Amino acid sequence: MALYSQPPMSYTQEPTTAPVEHRFNPYSDNGGSILAIAGKDFSVIAGDTRQSEGYSIQTRYARKVWQLNDKAVLATNGFAADGTNFVKRVKQRLEWYEHAHHKPMGLKSIARMIQTMLYGKRFFPYYVYNILGGIEEDGTGAVYSFDPVGSYEREACRGAGAAQSLIQPFLDNQIYFKNQQPEAGSEKFVPGNLPLSTVLSLVVDSFTSATERHIEVGDGLEIYVVMQKGRSADDLLDEKKLAPGLKVEELGALGEGEGERTFLVRQSLKRD
Amino acid sequence: MELNGGSVVAMIGKDCVAIASDLRLGNQAVGVASNFDKVFPVNDKLYYGLPGLATDVYTLKEHLRFRVNMYRMKEEREITPKTFTHLVSSTLYEKRFGPFFIEPVVAGLPTATELDPHPKPFISTMDTIGCITTPKDFAVAGTAQDKLYGVAEGLWEPDLEPEDLFETISQTLLNAVDRDALSGWGAVVHIITHKEVITRTLRARMD
Amino acid sequence: MFLTRSEYDRGVNTFSPEGRLFQVEYAMEAIKLGSTTVGITTPEGVILAVEKRVQSPLIESSSIEKIMEVDSHIGTAMSGLTADARTMVEHARVTSQMHNFTYDEKIGVESCTQAVCDLALRFGESVEDDDALMSRPFGVALLIAGIDEKGPQLYHTDPSGTFVRYDAKAIGSGSDAAQQSLQDAFHKQMTLVEAHSLALKVLKEVMEEKLDENNVQLAQVTPAKGFEILGETELKAVIETLAA
Repeated sequence: MALYSQPPMSYTQEPTTAPVEHRFNPYSDNGGSILAIAGKDFSVIAGDTRQSEGYSIQTRYARKVWQLNDKAVLATNGFAADGTNFVKRVKQRLEWYEHAHHKPMGLKSIARMIQTMLYGKRFFPYYVYNILGGIEEDGTGAVYSFDPVGSYEREACRGAGAAQSLIQPFLDNQIYFKNQQPEAGSEKFVPGNLPLSTVLSLVVDSFTSATERHIEVGDGLEIYVVMQKGRSADDLLDEKKLAPGLKVEELGALGEGEGERTFLVRQSLKRD
Repeated sequence: MELNGGSVVAMIGKDCVAIASDLRLGNQAVGVASNFDKVFPVNDKLYYGLPGLATDVYTLKEHLRFRVNMYRMKEEREITPKTFTHLVSSTLYEKRFGPFFIEPVVAGLPTATELDPHPKPFISTMDTIGCITTPKDFAVAGTAQDKLYGVAEGLWEPDLEPEDLFETISQTLLNAVDRDALSGWGAVVHIITHKEVITRTLRARMD
Repeated sequence: MFLTRSEYDRGVNTFSPEGRLFQVEYAMEAIKLGSTTVGITTPEGVILAVEKRVQSPLIESSSIEKIMEVDSHIGTAMSGLTADARTMVEHARVTSQMHNFTYDEKIGVESCTQAVCDLALRFGESVEDDDALMSRPFGVALLIAGIDEKGPQLYHTDPSGTFVRYDAKAIGSGSDAAQQSLQDAFHKQMTLVEAHSLALKVLKEVMEEKLDENNVQLAQVTPAKGFEILGETELKAVIETLAA
């Protein structure tokens, strides 16, 4: 029996430390930024295509902006998995609605539905900031912005995501004309009336600025433009009028095609 | 930084520089004063701003005044923006392990010398322990830093004339602090040209 | 040989060999015992008119409620077992409110009608602790009148859960004669005022009692004011035009 001597005490002693508790964290932040601006008869919804986690880039091309139907485009930002899944659910609800009510869902109805969907998960939220853009029933361009639990508002413009703090004050100045006053005798500034070319260059400037100063923004830019039915698209399709580096593509009608047109404008952003 | 709030921005123009700050002094979310200037002159070609902890603003300002006066008497000349930046930097680094909670911004027009007959407008900024950055465009600091970056990046362009530079820096500061709860409550802008220094207090949102 | 009809009468969810659900058919019969109800669509709006059978002079006639509001733009009139209609109207109201809450818009008249009809076939024997099903079919038919983006519409629903859209429709005990009168007098360009008097004229023809403001009820849905039940003075005015 001498072969089997007692092991040292330390082996037999019970561990004195408390058991380590491992907790699963269901959320992460995938960076990036989104932005939308409403015009009189169009709406512009944009987002960069970088997806990151911490300091590493997961992909240089991940969508954050989605065409929902012929008059609505939804941009999602925050936790990418929640974003894509939320969009999937919204699209499913839009299809159900069409079956039940024999018409495509209007923009304000989509906005309200998104609120109820988000608030429905009030205690396990979609970790996503949403911006909905498109054409309202009366033909005007519209932007709706949401917080992760469904608080929402119709606005002339909104930036969200990693570079919201960089973009929003710039938009306040350029879209809402904050801290500006018209020269004596000239007309009052009214937000939401800028021409498409101006809006597009503001969007591009916002994102190049954000790319310059924010590490989570960059790689590519996707700008969706939704136009009121009957509006001329010459200002977008005419290469000469468009800033260099922008590529335009028209997206076909998703439903019956009631006349609204959606375009996708792409541009590359710095990759560093 | 978040105790008292406040922000400073400086920009380079064509043969001119500008530096501006808000006027808020707060105690966390509570506004205390709307006349708390954070930008101070060294001489009529050199200004600097001290956004951060208010008590350190006073201490550092007085300390720098002493050091600049000593420099002026010993050297019998005005301190240059670059030298002043290094003076601030080394002052901050002295307190490497118990720093001043301040991120200074310096803006100045160097005077022409024999060695450098055409000096460029100069701005610089530092972190709390004195690490220097000397940008070619603009420098921002304070609680509205990221907002200032966004707007400045969108509005600033090279070679702005003094009046255009004034408009650019004013719009940048105003629109940035309007989105910052800890900055605002008025603003002051200094445009430094070879001829004069133009100081203007801006009408701003007071909420 | 087939079993006698009575064998299949009992089960509410059993088809007869001829492919019929007798309980549902009997429910349809119940409607024919109900008071006559009329609906007419015009380009200016939809009207609903019902006969209120005041069986005793001691009945407070205003307490008989056969036309009900579903939403500000939809109303309904009933014939048959009116107690059953409460369940349906309640469901229609909840559905309309839910739609408005979820989509920030008024529910379509057809969608509302569909929602009511979805209820109609939820009868039968419940399985274990299945949500309590209804034991028998509804014994009531509804005329659902409303206005949405597609314009003024009138729908008829029956206990089988079928719904059909009509320009003009009569249900209840006098429905055969009333429907014929409607068919003869109706035209697409009818005004709302013409529809009011046509509805009362048709009711008058099939009613046993003399028609007055106490034994009929008239309601309308218009683009401007939505659903409203006409008050006593307005009703009297329409009745006077009939006499003339």
